[in-house]
Amino acid sequence: MLLPKFDYHEPRTLEEVLLLLSELGGNAKLLAGGTDLLVRMKLNVDRPSHVISLEKVPGLNEIIPQDRHGVTIGSTTTAANLAESELIIDRFAPLAIASSRLGAPMIRNRATIGGNLVNARPAADLSPACMVLSANLKIKSLNKDREVLVNDFFVGPGQTILDPNELLVSLKIETPPPWTGGSYLKLGARKALEISMVNVACLLTLQSADGPIVDVRIALGAVAPTPVRAFAAEEFLIGQKPSESLFKEAGSIGVGMCSPITDHRGTMEYRCMMIESLTHRALQQAYHRALEWKL
Amino acid sequence: MKKIIKLTINGESVEAAVEPNRTLLQFLREDLGLTGTKHGCGLGDCGACTVIMEGRAVNSCLILAIQAHGKEIITIEGLAEGGRLHPIQQAFVDKGAIQCGFCTPGMILSAKALLDRNPKPTEMEIRTAISGNLCRCTGYQKIVEAIESASETIGSEEVS
Amino acid sequence: MNEYSVLNSRLPRIDAPLKATGLAKYADDLKFPGMLYATILQSPVAHARILNIDTSRAKKLKGVKAVITSKETGLIKYGVSPARYDETLFAHDKVRYVGDEIAAVAAVDQATALEALSLIKVDYQELPAVFDMFEAMKEGAPQIHDDYPGNLNAEVHQEFGDTEAALAECDLVINHTFLNKRQDAAFLEPHSCVAIYDLDGRLTLHTSTQVPHYVMRTVAMVLQIPVGNVRVVKPYVGGGFGPKCEATPLELSCAFLSRFTGKPVKMTYSREQVFLHSRARHQFFAEMSLGVRKDGTMVALKNKAILDGGAYTSFGIATVYYAGSLLGGPYKLKSMKYDGYRAYTNKPACGAQRGHGGVAHRAAFEQLIDRTAGELGIDPIELRLKNIMTAGDMTVNELDMSSLGMKECIEAVKEHSGWQNKKGKLRRGKGIGMACGFFVSGAGYPIYRSDTYHSTVVIKLSEDGGTAIVQTGSAEIGQGSDTTMAMIAAETLGISIDNVKVVSGDTDLSVDLGAYSSRQTLMTGHATREAAEQIRGILKRYLAQEMGCTEESICFSNGIVKFDGQPGNYDKLRSHYIKEHRGWTDQPSGEYLTFKEVARMTYLKDGTLVGTGKYKPPRLGGSYKGAAVGTSPAYGCSAQVVEVDVDLQTGEITIENMTDAHDCGLAINKTSVEGQMQGSLSMGLGECLFEEVKFDSRGRIVNPSLGEYRIPTALDMPNVKSIIVESHEPNGPYGAKEVGEGAIMPTIPAILNAIYDATGVRMNELPVTSERLFLALKKQEIA
Repeated sequence: MLLPKFDYHEPRTLEEVLLLLSELGGNAKLLAGGTDLLVRMKLNVDRPSHVISLEKVPGLNEIIPQDRHGVTIGSTTTAANLAESELIIDRFAPLAIASSRLGAPMIRNRATIGGNLVNARPAADLSPACMVLSANLKIKSLNKDREVLVNDFFVGPGQTILDPNELLVSLKIETPPPWTGGSYLKLGARKALEISMVNVACLLTLQSADGPIVDVRIALGAVAPTPVRAFAAEEFLIGQKPSESLFKEAGSIGVGMCSPITDHRGTMEYRCMMIESLTHRALQQAYHRALEWKL
Repeated sequence: MKKIIKLTINGESVEAAVEPNRTLLQFLREDLGLTGTKHGCGLGDCGACTVIMEGRAVNSCLILAIQAHGKEIITIEGLAEGGRLHPIQQAFVDKGAIQCGFCTPGMILSAKALLDRNPKPTEMEIRTAISGNLCRCTGYQKIVEAIESASETIGSEEVS
Repeated sequence: MNEYSVLNSRLPRIDAPLKATGLAKYADDLKFPGMLYATILQSPVAHARILNIDTSRAKKLKGVKAVITSKETGLIKYGVSPARYDETLFAHDKVRYVGDEIAAVAAVDQATALEALSLIKVDYQELPAVFDMFEAMKEGAPQIHDDYPGNLNAEVHQEFGDTEAALAECDLVINHTFLNKRQDAAFLEPHSCVAIYDLDGRLTLHTSTQVPHYVMRTVAMVLQIPVGNVRVVKPYVGGGFGPKCEATPLELSCAFLSRFTGKPVKMTYSREQVFLHSRARHQFFAEMSLGVRKDGTMVALKNKAILDGGAYTSFGIATVYYAGSLLGGPYKLKSMKYDGYRAYTNKPACGAQRGHGGVAHRAAFEQLIDRTAGELGIDPIELRLKNIMTAGDMTVNELDMSSLGMKECIEAVKEHSGWQNKKGKLRRGKGIGMACGFFVSGAGYPIYRSDTYHSTVVIKLSEDGGTAIVQTGSAEIGQGSDTTMAMIAAETLGISIDNVKVVSGDTDLSVDLGAYSSRQTLMTGHATREAAEQIRGILKRYLAQEMGCTEESICFSNGIVKFDGQPGNYDKLRSHYIKEHRGWTDQPSGEYLTFKEVARMTYLKDGTLVGTGKYKPPRLGGSYKGAAVGTSPAYGCSAQVVEVDVDLQTGEITIENMTDAHDCGLAINKTSVEGQMQGSLSMGLGECLFEEVKFDSRGRIVNPSLGEYRIPTALDMPNVKSIIVESHEPNGPYGAKEVGEGAIMPTIPAILNAIYDATGVRMNELPVTSERLFLALKKQEIA
C-alpha cells in the first residue's frame, strides 16, 4: 500500500494555512489526523498534489472552556482528547461518548473532530453529537470569516459547504441548561473498529427533575446522505411528560426523517427499524442522565 | 522532494531524509531496519503496525514519517533493556499470550501505552485498549491475562 | 502427579522471547543485497478471453528488470491434488476470476514495479460469468473450464448401509438445511516471499507457508528443475489456518523472476491480494436428514453438500470429501449416505481452512440433533450422550476412534457451564446451547499418492554433549510445534528443555509434509521421539559397555544418569572426562553422572552423535472410493456450551460465556492447548456472527479489508472456561493428538443452538448478523 507522491506543506500559522489554501485550493488536502485522508490516498480515492499539515499550527487542538457558558474546541482536537476531557464528559456527553466509540484507540489518538466533520461521511460518529449540541462552526479563509451552525454544514456524502480555500478552525458549543442529559448509540457488527450502520445522538432537557421535556434534540447518522435532525420527533416530545411509551412513539416518528440506503453493511428496511429502536433507547438514556444532572 | 526529519526513536536521536509520501511504518521497517513493527493491512484496520508516539499508541501506517519530525517514538525494539525483557514482554511470554507473534509487537505497545497512563486497569479497560489490535490466534484471553499480570508486576516493582 | 519431567506442563514457548521483542523474522522482514521487488498483474474482470498481452511499455520503464507472462514461464499445470491440476501460473487463454494472475514484474523498488503493472496492456473479450454455485450447475451456465462440463469440479457419492430403508423404519426423521458464506482466514501476516536463484542453479525460497515440502515440490515441477535444487525455508509465519497450505503464484513468480534476473526477488501481497488469492473456507449448502428411534437412538443420516469452489480446485477435492466423512462420528449411526458436489464459479478459489470441510456440515448436524432432541422432549446433552462413541468404536465409514474422550468432554462442559440450572430456565433473550465435534489428527495419506514418510527428524548433539539440536522440516506457524518438538526431545533424552534447540521449517533439514490437518504434534512428534530414542540408545550402549552394566539399568532424567536408580560407580568415566577437559571451568561435580558427560565421552569415541526418526501412519481406513479422506491415526474431540444474550430490539448478539472441553490426548503443553482452544472458538465466533466475503454483481470483492471483513476484536470475544480432557491415544507420541482444528467444530452450532434457546428462532444461514436475526425475530412475531 503505497502513497502517491505529493508536495508537503507544514505551515506554522493560521495565516500561512489560509494563504496556502487560497493559492492551492482544490489541488490541496488538509492533513490533520490522517486516519481518513491517508486511507483514501492509499486507495487512490484522493490524489491531491499538495498536502497541507495542520500539525504545527498553534492553538488548533485545544479545548477551551468559555467561562461557564460553553466551550471552544479546536478542529484538530483528537477524539481521544474529547473522550477523556472531564469537561466534555460532564457537560457535553453525546460528544464524549461518540468520541469514545470512534474506531479504536489508535484511530482515536489521531482522528480529529474537524476531520470527522469535514469528511462528511454519513456514518461519521461525531456529526450527530455535534448536531444535538448545536455546535457553531468557525470557518476562515484568507478574506472571509463566517460562523455556520453544524446543521447547515453538510451537503451530501463527502460534501460540505466549505469552499476549497476555507478552513474549519473551531467549534463553539453552548453549555446545555440544567436538567439536561445526553446520549449516543451506535449500531455496528463488532464492538470496536466499526463504521455505524445507524447511529443516534440525543440531548434532552427537563424543566426540573419531575418536570416535562422543555427541549430535545435528536440526530441520526448513516440513515440519509447527510446526518439529519429528527425534527418531527423533537416537536412531538417538547412539552410532554417523559414516559416509556412517549419515547417509543418518538422513535417511530424519527424514522420519517430518514432515507437510508441498502449497502453491504445493512438494508434500508433494517436501518429504518433500527432508527426506531435506537432513538427510543437513546431518549431513555438521555432522560436518565438528565435526572442525574448535577450542578 | 526529500526533507530532513529529526526524531527520537527508542531514546536515540535519528536524523534522515525522507520523501513526503513515506509512512512512518515504511521509514521504521525499510529505512531503519526496525522490522519488529509489522505491516498487516496498511489501512489502520489491524493494529500490527502500532508504535507509541508521544505517549500514545498510533498506527504507524497512517502517519507520514515527516509528521514524526520532532516526536518521540517507541517501537517494540525499545522495550527490553540490557537483555532483560520489559515486564509486559515477560508476562506475554509467561502467560502464553503469543502464538504466531505477528500482532504481538503492536499488542504489547498498546498495553504499554495503557499501563503508562493507567497502571491498574480493569479487564474492560484492557480489552478496550487493545480493541484496535486484531489477533486471529489467541482469542485474546491470554493476552488480557498477560496485561493484568504485567500490571501487577510493574506495580510491585515500583513499590519495592 | 505428573509422570513426566518436561511434558504435560506449562513451559513458556521457546519462540516467545524473540516474538515479544520484535526480533523474530517474518518473510517481509528479510532483505538481501541487490534485492528486487515484484508485483503481480491481476485480472480486473471475472471471466474473459485474453486476446493480447502487451508488456513492451512496462519493459522499457526505468528500473524494471523483468516482466514475465505465460510466454516466459510456460503452461505447466499445477494445483494441490495431482488428479485436479487445473492452474497455470499465469492465465494465457482466459481469466476466470477477478484477481486471476496474468503477469509479474520485478523492479528496483515497489513503486516502480507497480507503475510497470499499469503499463501492461491486456485486451480482454469479456465472457458471461457465473458467481453462484447453484446457477453454475444449471444447464446453460457459462462454462469455466473446458474439461469440467456443467462446472462440476468434483462429485462424491458414498453410502454405508441402506440409508433409505433405515430412515423408513425410524420413528422420527427431521430434515434440515444450512448455508454458510465464503470466509477468509484473515491471518495477520499477508503472504510474502523472497526467492534467491544462485549462480549454481539452486533456488532458495524464504516464504510464509504452512507447507515448505509441498511448495518445494510444486516449484520444482513448475520451474522444471530437480527437487534437490529447491530449498524452501520458512521464516516465522504470522498465521496460516489453511490457506497457506499450497504453493502460490507469489512464490512461483518470485522464483521465475529471480531466475530471470539473477537477483533476490521479494513480493508481499497487499491485504486485498490476500482476499483475492483466498484459498479459504468454501461456501457450503447442506441438506440433511437424521432418523432416530423414539428413545433417541440415532439410526441413519442422509447428507448432501454443495460447495462453491471458485475458479480452481485448490484443496477442494479433499474439502468435498471431508464434508461427508466427518459426520461419521462422534455419534453411533447404523447407516450414512453422502452426496457432495463442488461447483466452479468465477470467484477466487476456495481451499482448506481450520476444520477443513467439516465446519459447516458439523454446524448443520449439531443443529439437527438439537431439533431432534426438542421433538423428542429429551435434553440435548442426554440425546448426545445416549449415542456417543467411546474409545475403540469404529464409525460407519470406518474411522477408528482409537481414543475418544467425547463423553468426558460433554460431562465436563455440562458441569462447568452450570447447564442444569440454566437450560430451559433463562428469560427470553438469554440462551444456552451446546454442540460437539471431532477432527483428524493428521490426514492419513499425503496429498500426492506416495509411500513417503510424513515426517522425518534429525537430532544432533553438540560436540560438548550439552545441547540437542532438533532439525525438522515441520512448520511452526504460530501453533507452537517448535516448542512441542523441543519438549518431546527433552523428555525422551532426559534433559532440560533449555538444552534443546529447534531448527525447523527448512526442506534441507528433513522431510515433513507440514502444518495442515493438525498433524505436527502426532506425526513430527513421533519422528522426534524416535530420533531422540535413537540417541538415547547410542548413549546407553556406550555406557553399558564402559560401566559393565545392562542398558536396561540406565535411566536419563533431568540431565543426569541413574543406574538402577543409583548414582553408580562412574569414577573412571568422570576422571577421564575431567582429564579431557583440563583447564576448562565447567567441570562436573554433582552426585550423579550427567547427560553432557556421557554425550561428550560417546562423541570422543564415535564422532558426531545423530539420531534420526521417521513416521508415516499405518494403512488406515476402508477401501471404498474416497476412504482416504477423513482417515487419521487419531481423532481429537471437543464439546462446548455457549451462553448468549440477544438484544430483542436490535438483533445484536453478545456471547457472554463459553465453556469448552477438548480431548487432545496427553497435553504436551497445557498452555498451548488452551491457546488453540481459545483461538478456535474466537474464529468460530467470528464466522458465526460477522464474517462473510461479499461480491458485487461483477465478481469483485466488496470488502477486501480487515475493516470491512470483520474478525472478532478483544471486545467481542469473551473469556473461555477451557477444560483439557486427556485420554490416552495409543497412536500418538506419549498419547498426544490434535487440538488445533477439532476445537472449532462445535463453536458455530453451539452459538446457533443458544440463539434458538434465547429466542425460539432457528438460524440456518450464516453469518447471524444483527439484521438477519432481527428480521427472523420479526417474522416469528408475525407468525
